[in-house]
Amino acid sequence: MVPPAAEAQLHRLTVLQYQNSVRDLFGADLEVPSDLEPDSKLHGYTSVATGELTISPIAAEKYEAAARAVAHQVVSDEARRAAVIGCELGDDACLKDFFTRLGRRAWRRPLKIAEVEDLMNVVEAAGTALDDGWTGVEFGIAALLQSPYFLYRVELGQVDDDHSARLALDGYEVASRLSYLLWNTTPDDELLDAAELGDLDSADGVRDAARRMLESPRAREAVVGFYSEYLNFDRFASLSKNAELYPEYTPELVTGMQGEIENLFAWIVFDQKADYRDILTTTVTFVNPQLAALYGLDPIEEPAAPTADTFVQRDLGAGSGRGGLLTSAGLLALYAHDTVTSPTLRGKFVRQNLLCEDIPPPPPGVMTSLEGVEGDTLRERLEAHRNDPVCGACHSKMDPIGFGFESFDPIGRLRTEEAPGVPVDSTGDLDGVAFDGPQELQAMLADDPRVPTCFARQLYRFATGHLELPRELPLIDQLGAEFADDGYRVVDLLVELVASDGFRYAALPDTDWVPPQAPAAEGEGESP
Amino acid sequence: MKKFTLDRRTFLRGALGGAAASIVLPPLHAMFKDSGEAYADGSVVTRFGVWFWGNGVRPDRWIPAATGADFPMSEELAPLEAVRPWLHVCTGMEVKTGTHPHHSGMAAILTGALYHQVGTTRDTIVSTFEYPSVDQVAAAHFDGQTPFRSLELAVTQHTGTDEGTSFEHVSHNGPNNFNAEERSPAALFQRLFGSPPEPQVDAARKSVLDLVSEQTTSVRQRLGSHDRARLDQHLESIRTIEQRLRQPAAECVVPSTPADPGPIDGKQPIAENNTLLSDLMTMALACDMTRAFSIMFSQAGSGVVMWQVGATDGLHYTCHTEGLPQNIVHGAVVFTMQQLGYFLGKLATTEEGAGTVLDNCSILCTSELSQQNPAHDNTEFPIIIAGKGSGRLPGNLHYRSGSKRNISCAALTALRGAGLPMEGGFGYGPGHVDEGIPGLL
Repeated sequence: MVPPAAEAQLHRLTVLQYQNSVRDLFGADLEVPSDLEPDSKLHGYTSVATGELTISPIAAEKYEAAARAVAHQVVSDEARRAAVIGCELGDDACLKDFFTRLGRRAWRRPLKIAEVEDLMNVVEAAGTALDDGWTGVEFGIAALLQSPYFLYRVELGQVDDDHSARLALDGYEVASRLSYLLWNTTPDDELLDAAELGDLDSADGVRDAARRMLESPRAREAVVGFYSEYLNFDRFASLSKNAELYPEYTPELVTGMQGEIENLFAWIVFDQKADYRDILTTTVTFVNPQLAALYGLDPIEEPAAPTADTFVQRDLGAGSGRGGLLTSAGLLALYAHDTVTSPTLRGKFVRQNLLCEDIPPPPPGVMTSLEGVEGDTLRERLEAHRNDPVCGACHSKMDPIGFGFESFDPIGRLRTEEAPGVPVDSTGDLDGVAFDGPQELQAMLADDPRVPTCFARQLYRFATGHLELPRELPLIDQLGAEFADDGYRVVDLLVELVASDGFRYAALPDTDWVPPQAPAAEGEGESP
Repeated sequence: MKKFTLDRRTFLRGALGGAAASIVLPPLHAMFKDSGEAYADGSVVTRFGVWFWGNGVRPDRWIPAATGADFPMSEELAPLEAVRPWLHVCTGMEVKTGTHPHHSGMAAILTGALYHQVGTTRDTIVSTFEYPSVDQVAAAHFDGQTPFRSLELAVTQHTGTDEGTSFEHVSHNGPNNFNAEERSPAALFQRLFGSPPEPQVDAARKSVLDLVSEQTTSVRQRLGSHDRARLDQHLESIRTIEQRLRQPAAECVVPSTPADPGPIDGKQPIAENNTLLSDLMTMALACDMTRAFSIMFSQAGSGVVMWQVGATDGLHYTCHTEGLPQNIVHGAVVFTMQQLGYFLGKLATTEEGAGTVLDNCSILCTSELSQQNPAHDNTEFPIIIAGKGSGRLPGNLHYRSGSKRNISCAALTALRGAGLPMEGGFGYGPGHVDEGIPGLL
């Protein structure tokens, strides 16, 4: 039997994980560094990118500057110094104890004696060079934060007792995986203690820990963070809409667009603990003042002076023409151009993100322009693509879905006409099954077994931080089936996912790698 | 000794909005004889650069009507007339390493190879570079001679389509191993000129970096080849910091920071950012802070809105949808060349020895495809090599290949123009070439 797990990869902390971690280590009021290398996405997720990308010279510079800035705040503020370090200068035993304690949380494992000595040597060397003991301590803290053991989640594992061809992650490594997935920060002492006691060595132990963690507000934030990545909210940063046509499209409206979906997702998953598929059919929404105006809802009266960050729950009611994830203004705007809608992009989003069916780019050499093509509506003009044998293979998978959203303009506002005198037509079909309007389409998707399976696959990719391998697909299908059996509860899916072999085991490294337990003799320990 | 002079007033007007400032003369004058000519030992400084823009050109309005010296400027090249003496326009060349939209051309022109596909589970391609990009080939050659191994800038902002690092970045050290660009003039200024070295602090920093290197080396032994390669880069990155600690400071200190330009009516201040970044890069080159650089004006397949030419949609979308003759796309290309023209003009008016900084540069200016419509054409690749490579390159030339010459010849020529011997040629597989562009070197 081939174990399903993928090879372990060093995952570098994301910007948010770095910031949350130093806050947890040194105090919530710490001014956290913001000038870190921006996160990238690969295959949809920052977590996949953090397992692939490297630390380039400029990234290393920024990590050095960030570590020094944090360490300086810790040491130069006497109150913080007393609270965090709590030692007198020259009391090396106390300082060693401090680095041992801090190191366990920063590196997410107990430090070896030699590792503490190494840090003390930096304290000594820097203190001597600068003729100031506390500055020496400052550089010691900076060293701790520049270490690969802080910047990456290091997963060495141990050869699994049951399958010698795979590695079992140790309790501390599992604790780090859990903590950065569910809380976006370094493990707390309770989780590290659980690791030390061996509680995280079993699937049930991991389930228990995950359930505890999912109760925290931090989990809500982290899981919503996954959803924002899944929907590509990072693209709002450079999304533009024509200002003359859409003066309503402001940063405040964008806040409303993102917040609506994030609030709705959190409400279904954490507050209602409801069937995830409800997000496609619900009429509940969360709006800020700008989004309420776009949706034609009554202005927000409570609280009295709402800001763009004020969200209230509303019910759109039946027959409003709107309701459910795919009719949220945010998604409709994200998958449209500056001046016109895009049934192609909207359909592609449904196909790729909801059904996990990827669409290749247009082949070289074809004319993509629709200018000069006869037709009053975009639908008619796009027919040229669907009728072309080269273009049609893909466009017929996207455009007929996207037509369902033609009742919304490029910023997601309801419209009745595509152009003056040209009424909108939002009929379409999903794999040949006709629908009339987005509500019918969403109802079809809510019943489509591909949607929950795809959701499980996306969550698995995000949670494990790598593009799933073909050999992992059966495990993902199994998680999808359990998701369905358990009533499509996302929290339950997450618990089963982190308890699965795909999360707790890794394949053996591919090289002349030395097993952790073996003596470190050269040439030994070739992977079997 | 003849004084080395920078065009300070122009620089400061651009960078500082007219604020008073003083500049200590840079150290480069030491490299020139009183006459301003290079020493006989060849110690003249030549730099290599890449200036990249996304989405190609309109070839029918890009290609000059005649070849050779004193060629007639085309409509789209017209903004570069002022720097004609330093231009080598190369047309008629083609990508030989595949036809996948954007991915093939990007990897071909910048690495001379096919792209590296990241993961095969999905039915779409996410790509990165298999090999270091051409700017890093130069950076490796110049390594250790300047405070910064290389500098990477980007002018416009656009978040793309999650198709991998080769869509988002020009400069790569290897697969998934890019050098992120600085977009903010203020941050670039801080990085270049902001922290004067303090030997005692640097000693303390070194003790930290040494320990981090030891830890990285130690953990490296326990990992598979994928992560070992990543940690090798991490070690290399630490090494570049340590190397800088040993360098004397560049004596180009400007005492105040440029402010980043804000949006203009909610739109990107493209020309404004280009001006500030171009000025700072010119300063960095004149001060010999680096000899390898890249400027990504816009990324591959960029959807930036070129509102300056009346565009109301993202450029990538407009390229695919605007009917021929694509006047908006054409306008965007002209605007882009105006921005390149500003940068080259800055280099061409900054004195160095008896000539100018641009005399001592070799800059590959290019895109990731020829044109978008018909879609993703990889023939008629737009290529300009700018600069005289310290006398290695003639300037004022239009070379046209009648035989669809491999575009790798362009990178090879530009590298040799910067003084790299490149004895093994450039490129890999069908992208490999041994000979540069005829008549340029």
